[in-house]
Amino acid sequence: MSTNTHPSATDPVYWDPYRPDINADPYPVYKRLREEAPLYYNKEYDFYGLSRFSDIDRCLGDVKTFSSAKGDILELIRADMEVPNGMFIWEDPPRHTANRAVVSRVFTPKRMNALEEQIRDYCAMCLDPLIGAERIDFIKDLGDKLPGGVIGMLLGIPDEARDAVRERVDASLRTELGKPMEVSQSSYQGEGFEEYLDWRIKNPSDDLMTELLNVEFQDHLGVTRKLTREEILIFINVLAGAGNETTSRLIGWTGKLLSDNPEQRRQIAANPALIPAAIEEILRCEPPGPSVARYVTQDFHIYDQTVPAGSVMMFFLAAANRDEERFTHGERFDIHRQGPPHVTFGRGIHSCVGSALARVEGRVALDELLKRFPDWTVDLEKSSLTPSSTTRGWDTLPAFTR
Amino acid sequence: MVKVIYVESNGTEHALDLSPGLSVMRGAVENNVRGILGECGGACQCATCHVYVDPAWFDKVSDISAIEEALLEDVCDGQPNSRLSCQIRLSEALDGLVVRLPARQV
Repeated sequence: MSTNTHPSATDPVYWDPYRPDINADPYPVYKRLREEAPLYYNKEYDFYGLSRFSDIDRCLGDVKTFSSAKGDILELIRADMEVPNGMFIWEDPPRHTANRAVVSRVFTPKRMNALEEQIRDYCAMCLDPLIGAERIDFIKDLGDKLPGGVIGMLLGIPDEARDAVRERVDASLRTELGKPMEVSQSSYQGEGFEEYLDWRIKNPSDDLMTELLNVEFQDHLGVTRKLTREEILIFINVLAGAGNETTSRLIGWTGKLLSDNPEQRRQIAANPALIPAAIEEILRCEPPGPSVARYVTQDFHIYDQTVPAGSVMMFFLAAANRDEERFTHGERFDIHRQGPPHVTFGRGIHSCVGSALARVEGRVALDELLKRFPDWTVDLEKSSLTPSSTTRGWDTLPAFTR
Repeated sequence: MVKVIYVESNGTEHALDLSPGLSVMRGAVENNVRGILGECGGACQCATCHVYVDPAWFDKVSDISAIEEALLEDVCDGQPNSRLSCQIRLSEALDGLVVRLPARQV
């Protein structure tokens, strides 16, 4: 084949979030973005993108230039909706500061680690019936169940209602193959949680929902008060949405990467002390949320170009995580890596509030999987990637267990 | 420059010469000291830059804010000399500071 018939090698590098062919393996494109277009501009959908670790590390922290106030997804920023108060992921300081502090207080590392035994029991409940099976599905058997179960535990939502909650959130993020997603505000306003909240008001417990009902905080106007019902519903909806699909993707990538790297899987099975480092390496290599977007509030100069105020900037976290300037042999999966932390959970005031929870879930899930199924090989023929432009991972990931 | 000695939980020492004004968290992250994550970038939110300040230095570092105090109750393996290193800003007065890193942040 001559180089002329191989367009990807000679054409200017192209990336958009909707192309299934790019989504199948985006890493060669990310590499070219880092090398050939560290400031990328996409004409078709009119957005800019940064892919180098140093740029992302620096710019995500610059919330004055890169605002979250219109949302953190390309389509949402374009839709220019009014963001309700309490939607902390789509707020800038000072409003964000007070709201985020309330949530940060209940999602601390120690509190999340305290859930470990409960999470372990939940994994056992999902996996024990499969012992002896020749095939398991990382998504259908665990990824679809565990994250919703854990959020349900936190919020005190009864088990039988959890699947319905997950389905609704997943559906709101799904896109038609190759197209931008439809945006509607209703999916972010806490629909579906009202009845649990009202029930919880009458039946207080020691869960997060009760804590949110009782917490006193100083809002951005300096008033000390409790959260309103509307604010609590928004918080809960954000947490349930953000904690569900992403963690399911993490479980899927755990299955995929440790199928592709059986020698490393055997090392972990023989020495579970390697699990935390393995989860960090999985998070680095395959971030469930490969990019985030911000609204550009003022002209921004980089690489002799100007990104005009009013633009959308995308931050390719998945590209930064493999930047050779930061990570030696960045494309290589290596659980023994002695290196700096990845940016999968973002950087700065909007970094993932649930990162400690995601890590506990990932570690316990891997531990409980290996105890029951020390060997597996993914059946790629029968696996499929999810059609979503906001997360990247598997909808189904079956594997042979021997 | 301000010398800071970071001691990993396995005993490995990193002696770094850092600029005044930098935070102890930033100094670690920029120089690949393992064991400090600093995901929120210094906003005192994520509690992933937890360190133990050497007792000889504990009273010399800046005071603890109410927000930091609340988060310190919920770090992994907290001790009386625990601090969030993003809240410790380096000055000449801290030349020679010793901080020990916990076995885990999360």
